[in-house]
Parts: sequence; C-alpha cells; structure tokens
Amino acid sequence: MRSTRGLLALSLCAGFGFASLGANSASAPADTPAEIQLDPLPTHWIAERPVGRGAGPVTRAMLEEPFAEDSRWLHYGGTYKNFRHSPLEQLSPANVSKLQVAWAFGTGTVGQFEVSPILYDGVLFITSSYNRLFALDAKTGAVLWRYDHQNAPNLPLCCGPANRGVAITGDLVLMATLDAHLIAFDRRTGEIAWDTEITDYTKGFTATSAPLVVDDLAYIGIAGGEYGVRGFIDAYETKTGKRVFRHYTVPAAGEPGVETWSGTSYETGGAPAWTTGTYDRELDTLFWTTGNPSPDWNGDDRLGDNLYSDSLLALDPKTGEQKWYFQFTPHDVWDYDGNSHIFLVDTTVDGTPRKLIAQANRNGFFYLIDRSDGSFVKGKPYLEQLNWATLDANGRPVVNPRAMPTDEPTERTCPSNLGGTNGAYTGSFDPALGLVFVSTIESCQAFAKGISVFVEGIPYLGGLPELVDAAAGKSYGNFVAIDASTGDVRWRARERYPMMAGALSTRGGVVFSGTLDGEAVAYESKTGKVLWRFRMGGGVRSQPIAYELDGRTYVVYGSGSFATLDDFAGGPQNIPEGGHLFVFVLPEG
Amino acid sequence: MPCALHLAVLLAGVAIVTGCVRGNGLPPSPAEVYQNSDPAAIRRGRLLFTGTCGGYCHSTKPGNREAPYLFDCSWTYGGSDREIFASIADGFPDTRMPAWGGKMPEGDADIWRVIAYLRSRRSCVNAD
Repeated sequence: MRSTRGLLALSLCAGFGFASLGANSASAPADTPAEIQLDPLPTHWIAERPVGRGAGPVTRAMLEEPFAEDSRWLHYGGTYKNFRHSPLEQLSPANVSKLQVAWAFGTGTVGQFEVSPILYDGVLFITSSYNRLFALDAKTGAVLWRYDHQNAPNLPLCCGPANRGVAITGDLVLMATLDAHLIAFDRRTGEIAWDTEITDYTKGFTATSAPLVVDDLAYIGIAGGEYGVRGFIDAYETKTGKRVFRHYTVPAAGEPGVETWSGTSYETGGAPAWTTGTYDRELDTLFWTTGNPSPDWNGDDRLGDNLYSDSLLALDPKTGEQKWYFQFTPHDVWDYDGNSHIFLVDTTVDGTPRKLIAQANRNGFFYLIDRSDGSFVKGKPYLEQLNWATLDANGRPVVNPRAMPTDEPTERTCPSNLGGTNGAYTGSFDPALGLVFVSTIESCQAFAKGISVFVEGIPYLGGLPELVDAAAGKSYGNFVAIDASTGDVRWRARERYPMMAGALSTRGGVVFSGTLDGEAVAYESKTGKVLWRFRMGGGVRSQPIAYELDGRTYVVYGSGSFATLDDFAGGPQNIPEGGHLFVFVLPEG
Repeated sequence: MPCALHLAVLLAGVAIVTGCVRGNGLPPSPAEVYQNSDPAAIRRGRLLFTGTCGGYCHSTKPGNREAPYLFDCSWTYGGSDREIFASIADGFPDTRMPAWGGKMPEGDADIWRVIAYLRSRRSCVNAD
C-alpha cells in the first residue's frame, strides 16, 4: 500500500512564539522567522495490487439480485426493495446469543458512525464520520486501502458529520462528501476514478447519504434543510461522473406547486433529499423522499403547504421528471422530515393485493401509499405518544392547534423534532412475517417560534424545540414491529434511552438494532424477545448488515454517536464519541 | 460605516442618552441599558436567540452540545458585553459559529438585544 499526501503543509513560525527547532531554523538569519516544513500527513493509501478475491465487476444482474450469494451486501437497503432483510437462516433465535467478536476496527474519527457497510469480493467498504473510506478484509479486518477526505473546517452541518456509506457498481465504489462532492474510487485499489462537485457547500449544502445506483446512473440527494437551500436529487453517469439531471424538490417561479409558498419563500424553501431512495424495476420508477421546509420552526413567512417538502416523490429514473407525489406533513413547523426509510412492499390490504410504499414516518404515523399512483391507503400511529395531529381519510394531518410553535410554548408536543423515527437510520422488513421493524424515539418537546433571519450559508431555523422530556430524563425508546398490512403495532421492546440505530432482519427470525448507550441488541422477530446484547461502548447509530464468508456467518455494526443529537434526544451524556466497527461471528460447528 | 466605528458611535450615543458612566470609566453597553430599562428589547433578543442561535446549536438548557451553553456565565472568549458582542459579530473562522455582524434585521442593535436576553436569564454558578 502506498500513500499520497494532502495539500496542506504545516509550518511552524518563530513569529508565533515557537522556539527554534533543528537545523532548518539554525540556518535562518536571526531576524527572519524560522520556518520548518513538515511532511504533510498522508490522506490516501492506495493498494499496489488489486484487493479482493478476483471477482469481476459488480453487474446489473448482481445489483438486481444481490443476495444470490450470501457473501454480498451491495445496497444501502440490501436490495432495491429496501428490506434490509438478510436471507441467512443461520442467524436464528437458537444461536444468536453465541455471537462473538471476530475483529474490531477504529475509524479515528468522532461524531456519529452511521454507516451501512457494503460487502463484495471479500472486501468490506466502510465510511466513517468526516468521510474516511476504508476497504477492509472482511474476514480479518486488515486495511486494504484507505482514503481520508479533506473537508473544510467550516462545513455547514446542522446535525453532525455523518456519512452512511458507499454505493458499488462495476469496479467503482462511490462516496458523497460533507463538502458536497461525489467521488468514485476503483474498488480494487482505492485510486480516484472521478471527483465531481455536486454543488457549492458554502451555501449550506452537504451530502451525507449513500448513493443509489441503477443501471448506468448514480443518484444522490442533497442535505441543507436547516440552511434554506433549494433541495434536489441528482443523477450522474457512473462511468464519468457527468451529471445527467437535477430534480429540484422545491418549484421555481411559474412551476406547479410554487403557489404553495407565500411570497418568494420558495427561494429558501429547503426540502432537502438527504437520505437514500430506491427503485422499482417493474414500474421503472425512482422513489425518493424529502425533508423539512425552511425555516424549520417558523412558517409565518412560508404560508401554504410548501410543496414538495416532507414528501414521497416518484421520479422517472432517466429524466428526473416527477410522476406523482404524496406529502406527509404539509406546512411542517416541527422539523418532521418525510424521509425515513421506505419499503417497497407487496401485500394485501383489506382483502385487496396492493403494491405499496410502507414507511414509519418521522411525524409518528406509519403510512401505506400506493406506489403506482401515490394514493393514500392507510396511516396509523406507531408511537406510544403522538398528539400533534390526527389523519383524515386522505392521509392529510388534522393539526392540533396547541402543537403549533408559539413565542412562549407550553404545550408538550409529541413526537419531538427528531421524530418517532428518523431518516438517519434504517428500518427493516421481514416479508415472511409481514413486519416492519424500526427504532423509535419516545420524547416530546415544546416548539418555540422566534425571528427568522436568512443569510446564505448560516442556519435558518426560525425557532427551537424546548427539550421538555429530554432535559427531564423522561425520553425513552422502543424497538417496534409494525404489521405492514394493517399498520398495527405487533410488539414493542422497551429500551432505556431513545433508539437511533438502523435495523437488520434475517430469514432465521432475528432482528438486530442497537441502543444509544452502546449495546448491539438482537430481538426475536416474531415476539420482540431480547436474545442477545453486547456492549460495544459508543452509542449505536449505524445500519447493521450480515453476510456469510468461507462458511462463517458475520454481523457488522458501527458503534459511535454524536453528543449534540444524543442531548437532543435525551440519550446518555457520559459516553464519548468515537467510531468503532465491530464484526461478530457465529462459532464454527 | 465600518463596524467598529458604528459600534463606537452607538456606544457614545447610549452614554449620552443615559448620562451615566460606570466605575471602570466605560459607559454601560447597550445590552446593559436594554437589560435595565427595556423589556421589549429583551423580548426581541429572546426571539432572535430562539430563531437564530438556538435550534441545533446553542441549547436553552445545560447539556452536552457541540455549541456551548450560554446561560451559565462561563465564557470561553470573554464574558464582558463587548467581548460577547465581538464573538457574535465576528464569529469564529473555521468553526460553525458564523459572523452575525451586519446580518441581523436591525443591525448591531439586535446583537446587543441578544446579549441583553442572555444576561436576563443567566444562572451563574460562578461570578462573571
């Protein structure tokens, strides 16, 4: 492995009060600041020989059927259906308690470690907070190549330095960065194939999600809803990095939907697309979701429904043209982003077979939406505490007027701005049981409205949530199983702190998630019975995956949270940040 | 008008209006004037804090945030009104604290109102 170095050189100047050091400074004139040039630290370690086991490129067929082999995990959502459901039967209630640590790996970064790893050809591709990308031997944890992206220190991050993973296609892995680049690496060596600037991050944009690859295009949505950006979803040629289309999530003047924004508020309307979408081959439709309108907690200057914030969008994958939309939270003034994990579920509802999008939305309702036309099918609360609204027959919220932000709020409103669940972590779906699994946050706040001030590149929030439950130590979490046909909650497993971890279920009948106080947890899928806990240390914010390699069965977790959001949620305050990867294995035999 | 000159004029004006000079020889800051005699200014300071400083950044309750809690009288970069003004107006380059100077709807006066609000609801563990 050879390393390359970043552009920044360190210099130590006597003028800044450093003592003279070494031969360089001794040779400088007495009245001239001595300067010592240190070699910059390496930032990119490239493999000298192709890594892996010699498998060929990742093909379209593999991306269509990624679990044709158990030694693969090729999509953020597991498959295009987004189920995050492993076909492994080996991980079962009978043996999951026997999981033991195979190896662990420190990323060297702080902040939330939200990765969903990608596995191919015996190599795990892991991204950390602040955009480190590691290719690791999936069996031993050995570093095969590594890239540390050099982000600027003034990133416009509302909510931490997260990255949720790469996409893989051909011989490339693709990572989006906090400074709004999309970079393609040769998966075999780590060399950069192309590097495309998505947009100018200084205007409030970031990219935190894993890209989605369909055929020859890579799709990535942008973050920045706390900065008054105009959200969008982009498509890029995977071979070249050339942009094919940009679909804006807020209409411009004269476009349909702009009438849902008072005045010129659409110009700073937000509606970011900061999570990963998915694709339906049969309908040839891309599904993506959007976040909050800007500013978050004061809607006075953006009266109207604020399309297409907090919405599910159906797009033509070749052109980006919008086919239909469904808006979950019109005129959101709570930060109830509409972009938690979506599942392409085919099931029977009230006796009728339906092709649906199922989603436990951040606003606390579980939705079933017909994915052929966007019509509302069903919606029910999945939280124990929800009082901001009810749903009418069309799925439109009937808002509790006392939940609206005010100058001096007193109403304890549920869920909190972090939502019942959140797009920063995934759910999973077990098609045999018909159950959707999600981590939930049971926490309520009082929403305060202040004076909104828009300045490009500066947070544009307009208010704040008073941390009613979090500050009183009353926030808690549940891991929840929801019947995908009825929307009824089948079981809840209570955890001490709000849960903000992704989910993985297995055909063997086990579902994995984790806690903010640092435990990996396995539940029985049918009942919610806790089968296994392992203390990893850092709060769990990652998306676990499973795979089989050389006859052994592995489960992968990232451990490491972000203190500011833990504080928001009402999580533990005494657990240090820091990213560690844990790879568990079932014993032989 | 340069920011420093603007500030000097504003301070001088406040000193003339109030006609008072503190024991340290400096006139009271506009924040101090607001705090002593202008509830409407404190309320506007609260609404500005709520709309621009709170949210995902500075909490209204003690906690473990990336951005510091501003109501405990513990100041990293100086706790006088003028030092706090400088922190807000100039920001801190290479951090996520932006420079608010010249960006508030009513200019520097709004920054002084935010400071007056911070003073009004502080709860000091240690003296300033």
